Amino acid sequence: MNGGELPSVPRVQILFGEIVYWITIVSAIICMVGPLVAMLAPENNVVNPYFLFAAIFAGKTAPEVWAQASGGFPGGHFYWHHLTTGDGFTQFGLALGCSVALWALLAAAFAYVKERSPLYTRLSLGVALLVVLSAVGIIEVH
Amino acid sequence: MSRFLKSPWLEMNIMLGVLILCYAGLALIGFTKETPEGGMSGAAIWGWLFGFFFISFGIALVAVLAGIGGGVLFTPFMLAFTQVDSLIVRATGLIVAMFSGLVSTGPFMRLGLSNLRMCIYGAAAYGVGAFVGAQGAILVAKHLGESGEGAVRLALGIILLALAVYFIVGGKKIEWPEVKRVDRFTQWLKLSQPYYEYSLGKVIDYPLTRAAILPAAICLIGLISGFFGLGAGWAIVPAQNLIMAVPLKVAAANSGVLLGMGDCVAVWPYLLHGAIIPLFAAPWLVGQVLGGLLGALILIRIQAGFVRHLIVGFMFLACFGLLTKGLNLLGVLPPTPLWMTGSVMLVIFIVVIRAIVRQARSR
Repeated sequence: MNGGELPSVPRVQILFGEIVYWITIVSAIICMVGPLVAMLAPENNVVNPYFLFAAIFAGKTAPEVWAQASGGFPGGHFYWHHLTTGDGFTQFGLALGCSVALWALLAAAFAYVKERSPLYTRLSLGVALLVVLSAVGIIEVH
Repeated sequence: MSRFLKSPWLEMNIMLGVLILCYAGLALIGFTKETPEGGMSGAAIWGWLFGFFFISFGIALVAVLAGIGGGVLFTPFMLAFTQVDSLIVRATGLIVAMFSGLVSTGPFMRLGLSNLRMCIYGAAAYGVGAFVGAQGAILVAKHLGESGEGAVRLALGIILLALAVYFIVGGKKIEWPEVKRVDRFTQWLKLSQPYYEYSLGKVIDYPLTRAAILPAAICLIGLISGFFGLGAGWAIVPAQNLIMAVPLKVAAANSGVLLGMGDCVAVWPYLLHGAIIPLFAAPWLVGQVLGGLLGALILIRIQAGFVRHLIVGFMFLACFGLLTKGLNLLGVLPPTPLWMTGSVMLVIFIVVIRAIVRQARSR
């Protein structure tokens, strides 16, 4: 069917797009402010940014870079305990952006339930579950 | 009310304001605070942070103009021309690829150009492939040391060479593919969704086919993308177009959404293993969001065929850097002298300029 009537965009699709769009913008703003906070109080970071950048540009590996933190790498979700530090706050922004699909897919699944579309409800929840499993580190190949 | 006070310009202006304040603050701190012994100077850190943002912003603009993902430019260049560890680069590359897709999701969904059902269907397969690829990258980095670093650069150099040739030849993409028979499985999925094609001034309702084959192809693409932190728009668009007969414009819009969604699965192994360093990755993320948004808002309207030549030129240059550095790390070649890299750069530059001039004359 090729015609001239303007087709309506499904509501679930608009909902998904809006959630992704706005969370991405919030995540970007956090990632703008985070480095400033880190440089304002360099001691109040998991790794002092002066030594962090020196290590990165010396070609050191990720574990070697994090080795400068007391106790090494504190784990991917270290922002929960370091939200007031510059790198903790920046990591929170990254984590928020990296989980955006989860929030949008949960909302989409809910909308698909209302639309009575069981196949896409299940698929949305399935992909959301993949994000959750990946984010909590339950599945690991090694 | 001025259009600059309405969405999307409003959020764009807010982000620009915050960005200017933050970088001004960083400059003030960087140039006035004393550097601790053994650390990088504050001014240099400011330079890197601003440089990263600026390059990321440029990559996002160019990527929007050329219709490819930013990861294809970021990862090869960083691996070819910097000392930064390859796992850190590839992890950050995934952030670059992912956020260029995420920021385009809102506008494409609103317009109805993207098809959410197709994206969710594809993202399940892509997510699994990219997740396994990311885990593989961590495994290689843990166990193979410097030879692994060399092998990764060499493999990426070969992939990039193939991609650059593919971009020149153009591939066999069809703008409006014809579907002779819709199979039962595809029909059952109810994936089709009409959209308004502004260039034609009419509604296009596209039938789809062979939906059962697509997940296998997308899973393989995800594996490569997750391992190399390369993004995958270059492969997902033709896969949808050639396998399922998705119109080219819809396939391109879907690819950004699908990558953004799928990489939310793939990126976490890198985050959980510390390969994503927050202060290093943040300016790249911000550049992708701002550049991608601005590119989508204003630059998409200008004629920009020349950008494709530039990108192919960049890809050949990065390819040279990757192959020579990879072979050097494997002990096959001595370090490449600067004059040789400069000469190759000059030759590529001349060829690109010739191609652009020839294109401009033919128009």
